[in-house]
Amino acid sequence: MIRRYALAPVRCLALVGLAVIGACVALLSAVVVALVVTYPTAVAATTWLANLGRRLAREWGGVEIAEEYLPGPPPLQPREDGWYVHDRQLFRSPRVPAFLAKTEALSKDPAITRDWFWLAFTPITGGLAVLLPPGLIAAGVAIAAGRVSFGPTRPASAMTVGLALVLTGLALGPAMLRLHALWSRELLQPATRSWWYASGVGPRVGRWSSATWHGAELAGLSLGAFGFFVLQVLAIVVSWGGLLPHAATFTRPYLDQYRRQARRWTGVEFPMPYRPLPGSPERDSDGMYRVGRTLYADRSAAVRAQRYGSMLTDPATWRDLLWMGTGPLVSVVGLVPLMLVGFGFFGLVWQPLWWAPWAVPLGLATGEWVTPWYVWYGLTALVPALGAIPGWVSPFIGLAMAALGVLIASPLLRLRVAWDRLLLTPTEAARLAQRVRRLTETRTDAVDAQATELRRIERDLHDGAQARLVALGLSLGTIEELLERDPDAARALIAQARANSTSALSELRDLVRGIHPPVLAERGLGDAVRAVALDSPLPVDVTVTMDGRPEAPVESAAYFAVSEALANAIRHSGAGRVSIDIRHSDGVLRFTVTDDGHGGADPARGGGLRGVQRRLGTFDGVLAVHSPAGGPTVIKMEIPCALSSPRTSTS
Amino acid sequence: MRVVLAEDLYLLRDGLIRLLEAHGFQIVAAVESGPELRRALVDLRPDVSVVDVRLPPTFTDEGLQAALYARREIPGLPVLVLSQHVEQLYARELLADGAGGVGYLLKDRVLGADQFIDAVRRVAAGGTAMDPEVIAKLLTTKGANEPFGRLTPREREVLDLMAQGRSNAAIGQRLFLSESAIGKHTASIFAKLDLTPSDDDNRRVLAVLAYLNQTS
Repeated sequence: MIRRYALAPVRCLALVGLAVIGACVALLSAVVVALVVTYPTAVAATTWLANLGRRLAREWGGVEIAEEYLPGPPPLQPREDGWYVHDRQLFRSPRVPAFLAKTEALSKDPAITRDWFWLAFTPITGGLAVLLPPGLIAAGVAIAAGRVSFGPTRPASAMTVGLALVLTGLALGPAMLRLHALWSRELLQPATRSWWYASGVGPRVGRWSSATWHGAELAGLSLGAFGFFVLQVLAIVVSWGGLLPHAATFTRPYLDQYRRQARRWTGVEFPMPYRPLPGSPERDSDGMYRVGRTLYADRSAAVRAQRYGSMLTDPATWRDLLWMGTGPLVSVVGLVPLMLVGFGFFGLVWQPLWWAPWAVPLGLATGEWVTPWYVWYGLTALVPALGAIPGWVSPFIGLAMAALGVLIASPLLRLRVAWDRLLLTPTEAARLAQRVRRLTETRTDAVDAQATELRRIERDLHDGAQARLVALGLSLGTIEELLERDPDAARALIAQARANSTSALSELRDLVRGIHPPVLAERGLGDAVRAVALDSPLPVDVTVTMDGRPEAPVESAAYFAVSEALANAIRHSGAGRVSIDIRHSDGVLRFTVTDDGHGGADPARGGGLRGVQRRLGTFDGVLAVHSPAGGPTVIKMEIPCALSSPRTSTS
Repeated sequence: MRVVLAEDLYLLRDGLIRLLEAHGFQIVAAVESGPELRRALVDLRPDVSVVDVRLPPTFTDEGLQAALYARREIPGLPVLVLSQHVEQLYARELLADGAGGVGYLLKDRVLGADQFIDAVRRVAAGGTAMDPEVIAKLLTTKGANEPFGRLTPREREVLDLMAQGRSNAAIGQRLFLSESAIGKHTASIFAKLDLTPSDDDNRRVLAVLAYLNQTS
């Protein structure tokens, strides 16, 4: 008990030290984050300090703090050809990709961000609490010893005041340690457990502030695009327009990047507006390449000319240019929230809060005392009318500005994205043209597939059932002949004829199954897939969630797609178990085939999955394969379709 | 023996009537649609019925649904289902109630008149008649799994025939083995599949199929 109270001020002092060191490390790591190479080292330092904080909170403050770092990336495995891959980039040695993977994982771990905030905020929060006991004791001792005096006080009363301060300091020690520990817990524990998060304030502020950042970052990107625009205009003017297509080849990837980023941050889709580039020109009979009304002897010149023409006539090129040119106008508006938050919070609120650590030592050392409201006075120097407002009000003004900033951030971001969509997505005409192109493609696929299918059926019938029926007829004719003369031979032929008819039936059955499986016709997709699952050599779990049946062609396409995916899993994956999930929601039929095999499936390599992709394409369906080496393989397919009402059963 | 027949194709219905009458069956109703079949099965309670899976008006699995419905109303009502294709799924549904008196054959089997009539009689007597193709599918798909992997090829043959509803004597005849040898094989099969042996032919078939059902 006595030991605890006696030790508390010392411990408090240690925590003050930790807070100061922590703040320095936080500041330093904020700087080195920019130098990517030192990032893991900085993280290691902050994590070490945060773990020390957790331990001290437990041992000194009696507060347990859960820790929840994400597991690091799995160890890097080389590909079959010995190269290492990270983010679609190949590396000879595992060092660099492993480092990149680690950095990426660290930057995504929210626990590490929380550690950093804890380090940065402790000096002005929990740090102040633990500063109190040693501060009181030091002041008490100083007063008692007569080093500091309050005007004309007697030594005896100075002694009393000093002693009272020392005792208060000692008494407050353990409580302040606990307060510090509680503060640490609030920031260091997993976010979902903290009051900040549970009360709903945290997530909301998080959304608002991310809208602020994203708005500013999009504004930055669009200012970058304006830079491109200026260069392009220069290049185009200087080259009398000759460089326009080249400029477009540079800017298109940049704008794609912008579209991706905007989609990731706002969830708004940005379809590609560009027309596909024309194929290579055909050589005419005279050996020249014709593009428009011009003949080219050189093929690459013809390709360039063709591309030039297509880029010039593509409205998307001009809309891109317009968007880039207007970037600064829109960006100024987009930057307003960030400026409000930056000046209001980080200038008017943050600076006074952080004033003491640097201004007090400076004041003590030089005798020059800087006011905590210096940012505000800087503003009043620019706008003298504001001088009437006293400095101490400025933090509240700052808070109001910051609040205004985060509040308008979301609407402004939406406004900006609406503008972006206006220019960066295809026009209605371009969208329809794209649609027509896609429909033409899928129609060709469908017609091809159907023709192939008909040919296969014709061949099967011709070589199978038809031939067997001919043989049957022949046998019957012969039997007629033999019936009188040689009954034994006739009987043998009858047996043979019967065998023939059985085979013909069995072949017809297989053929029918290939065209449209009877179970599908009788029971619909769910039971048809269940029937296939029952016939498969692997255990297959089938779950079906849909009420009603899709249109017959959709049903058939879905059935064959699932069958093909299942067959692939059985043939190639080496799986021990397959699960199939079929569900219909929001007007989309989704089916997923998952196996626990060794992965590595790729529809681009052709084969069954490519065929499934084409088949689904006819119905605007899509197929996505996720099959990392080592498995598991997940094949997801979607077809937009409506369901007819469920078949009413009379039972 | 009173028979209800459901088949929508005139030629086949006519042929079946002739075939069954030639073997001494009495056709009490020959219907061509699902609703008619439901009524006939429940009202007439035939000794056995021969039912096509696909019937009007929906041309889906009306026949099967009618058969299942009738067996829910009258448990154990003997039904022989005919189809152009056989599915494990349907076989399981027919066998699910475990009441026996169930047959499920490909339409092709009608061509072998003696065997077909034999199957109708077995079903009427409360036995089972599963199409060899169903059994073959069951055995090939589950063959790799325990405990079926433990069966010898001969035992699989015996199980196959047993599941079609044949007695030990009939199986012996087929495989050119003595009845007692078959008895030993069946005992061994039961031991390997952890089933208690029983004298009743149906029960063992049902047990085997129920077991297959359970392990899928």
